Amino acid sequence: MIRVVALRKAAVAGLCGAAAMEAFWFVTGKLGLPTIDLVAQLSAVQFHRWPLLGDAAGLLAHFSIGICWAMFYAFFFWGRFHLRPVLQGLIFSIAPAMLAILVVYPELALMRSQSPMVVLDLHRFFAPITPATVASLLLSHALFGVIVGLMYRRPVGYAVGNRPAPPHPRRPGRSHGKRNANATGFMFATGIECSYPTIEHGRWRRDEMAATRHYARWQDDFELALDIGITHIRYGPPLHLILKGPGSYDWGFVDEALAYLHDHGPEPIVDLCHFGVPSWLGDFQNPEIARALADYAGAFAARFPWVRFYTPVNEMYVCARMSALDGTWNEQRRDERAFAHAAFNLARASIAMTDAILAVRADAIFVNSESSEFCQACCPEPEIQRIARFENERRFLPLDLIYAHPIGDDMRAHLHDHGFADADIAGVMAHEVPARSIIGVDYYEWNERLIDSDGHARALGELFGWYVIASQYYDRYKRPMMHTETNRMDASDGPRWLWRQWHNVQLLRSAGVPLVGFTWYSLTDQVDWDIGLSKAVGNVDPVGLADLNRDIRAVGLTYRRLIEMHKDQPGYTDCPALAGLLAS
Amino acid sequence: MSGFLAAHGYDPGPTQRPFTAGAIAGLLATPPAILLLHLLRSLAVEARILGLPVILTIVAGCVAMAVAGALYARLLGRAANDVRGGWLFGMAFGFALWAAGAVFVLPLLGNGELPAGPPATGVFLSLILWGGCLGALLPFIQRRTHLKVDEPGVAENLGPTLAARDPAKR
Repeated sequence: MIRVVALRKAAVAGLCGAAAMEAFWFVTGKLGLPTIDLVAQLSAVQFHRWPLLGDAAGLLAHFSIGICWAMFYAFFFWGRFHLRPVLQGLIFSIAPAMLAILVVYPELALMRSQSPMVVLDLHRFFAPITPATVASLLLSHALFGVIVGLMYRRPVGYAVGNRPAPPHPRRPGRSHGKRNANATGFMFATGIECSYPTIEHGRWRRDEMAATRHYARWQDDFELALDIGITHIRYGPPLHLILKGPGSYDWGFVDEALAYLHDHGPEPIVDLCHFGVPSWLGDFQNPEIARALADYAGAFAARFPWVRFYTPVNEMYVCARMSALDGTWNEQRRDERAFAHAAFNLARASIAMTDAILAVRADAIFVNSESSEFCQACCPEPEIQRIARFENERRFLPLDLIYAHPIGDDMRAHLHDHGFADADIAGVMAHEVPARSIIGVDYYEWNERLIDSDGHARALGELFGWYVIASQYYDRYKRPMMHTETNRMDASDGPRWLWRQWHNVQLLRSAGVPLVGFTWYSLTDQVDWDIGLSKAVGNVDPVGLADLNRDIRAVGLTYRRLIEMHKDQPGYTDCPALAGLLAS
Repeated sequence: MSGFLAAHGYDPGPTQRPFTAGAIAGLLATPPAILLLHLLRSLAVEARILGLPVILTIVAGCVAMAVAGALYARLLGRAANDVRGGWLFGMAFGFALWAAGAVFVLPLLGNGELPAGPPATGVFLSLILWGGCLGALLPFIQRRTHLKVDEPGVAENLGPTLAARDPAKR
């Protein structure tokens, strides 16, 4: 799939663009300016004996052509240039205008010929093209482009307050038998990308499950995962749609999907908060989110008591950073104080949700996924070294809070500067960390950064690798670990990247780190992650085990082979790290 | 081109058979187009321009459309398998064939002769119809012609040694 396209929006834009062209020709004709009448020309091709019918057919033909061009714009052109939509439409209009001038308009004249055949003569072919015709065609197409550009925007997501169509009902599917009963096997996982932050200062909701059509194709997705041999699936029910208000839930968005996972697998690792909250809760600056999300987590665990694995809040550091420091999502703030508040509120929420789940299911297992980050100073200047050292402390802040790990001196001083006293920090950390906790460490090629001589972070690529960075997380927290996310934006390099990540996993296991699973994220391609979900463009990022048509990619086949190669091997069919965790 | 398509995820991958699926879809989309050509008296004119009997013109058309279908499927790769957009991509391809072929190539094959009047309309509409049918049919044919994930040889070149591959090589 090239783009995620809003077909209805494109059709309406094309219709309006074509109508504007008609109006332009009508007005210029009435004003006595040299112009064309394309509808009359279209109708004259076949219906010259019945003018009314001809006009209707001509209008219909022209509107249809307008719709097709607008859809073509939506699929192939929209979002290519970082320009205002109106300019994008205007530039795009050059294509239909040129085709109209060079091919279609001269051909229409040929089609009106009384003779069934002519001998091609360039002079005769282009005879209908006069300067006035060219000007009229150029201007009318420019108008079409402007209208389409203005009307076709934000093809993915929806205005906050709206709701997407509910998931398709379950159908009799291919039988995959019962869910994998091996409770202690190594977790060969994937995930359904489910981010739902708001952008445009809370006015527009990104919803990756809607953009990737998971609500419509959830059953195909699970069947595909089972075909690949996936044992566990990271699954984030849409919090913003389910939690309608305090104590009010719409379980329709998750009931059938979880019933399927219960019956057939893969076993879900339920991700309860993924980069967004319902609009009635505001954003991550709201200290009340901990209580509201804890109620939700408790209600969820009570409704689905068979779910064992939970990620209360996904990638707290990334969420706080993108929302409150980089100004991309949700509150869209760019200040240190807001970042600290977001990090604390997310950590408080994670702790409260964990407690609420444990109150319902005491043997629940928590996979606390976090993005692995590392900053390398480019040079020995003290300020550059300080920035790198500080960023390498900052990455641990939310995990330090939920794992009650002492915060480094630099970070503590920074928190003091932004309104957090030692008592606040101690207050968050005053809880018992569940024994059944796993640190999930995600890794992408952009997670390693170089602090350049100006103090700016630049992507470094895969320099030290997951092994080195995950080791830093293990050394700090000494908890069982899982590789919870990786993928590659270059689809052709996916299989190579998968094996390299896997070799990192094997090396860390052989070094004695208790590793319980590996994840290629996600099952299908994603939408707009190349721009961090910052705008509703609809770019398809080919990172999935399958594309958005649900056709398997080479990396999906590679993962299938990897799983087949290892799943029955000692140490994988019965994973000592997971068995040890369950025994705790 | 193939590197670009692969990096951007359009590469069909080891399970898909774009040439086969495209050729079948191209062929299946041809009868309605031929019917339209016949109704608008374009078929006879095309046969005259090409200097062939009508039946041979139809056979040549079927072959050409099968080849064009295979080309379409390979060019668009995975994008051609999109049910929601396939009809549009196919129509655009049909339009491109008309603009390039019917307007410029056909006269070259027929000493500069070109259909005009209703036959010219027929050629245009038949190629748009053919493209729309091709694009709409292809996703469904692709599903029936692709290899299953567990067929031998499908993942042959996707083993662990890939980790050592030069990332610049596609």
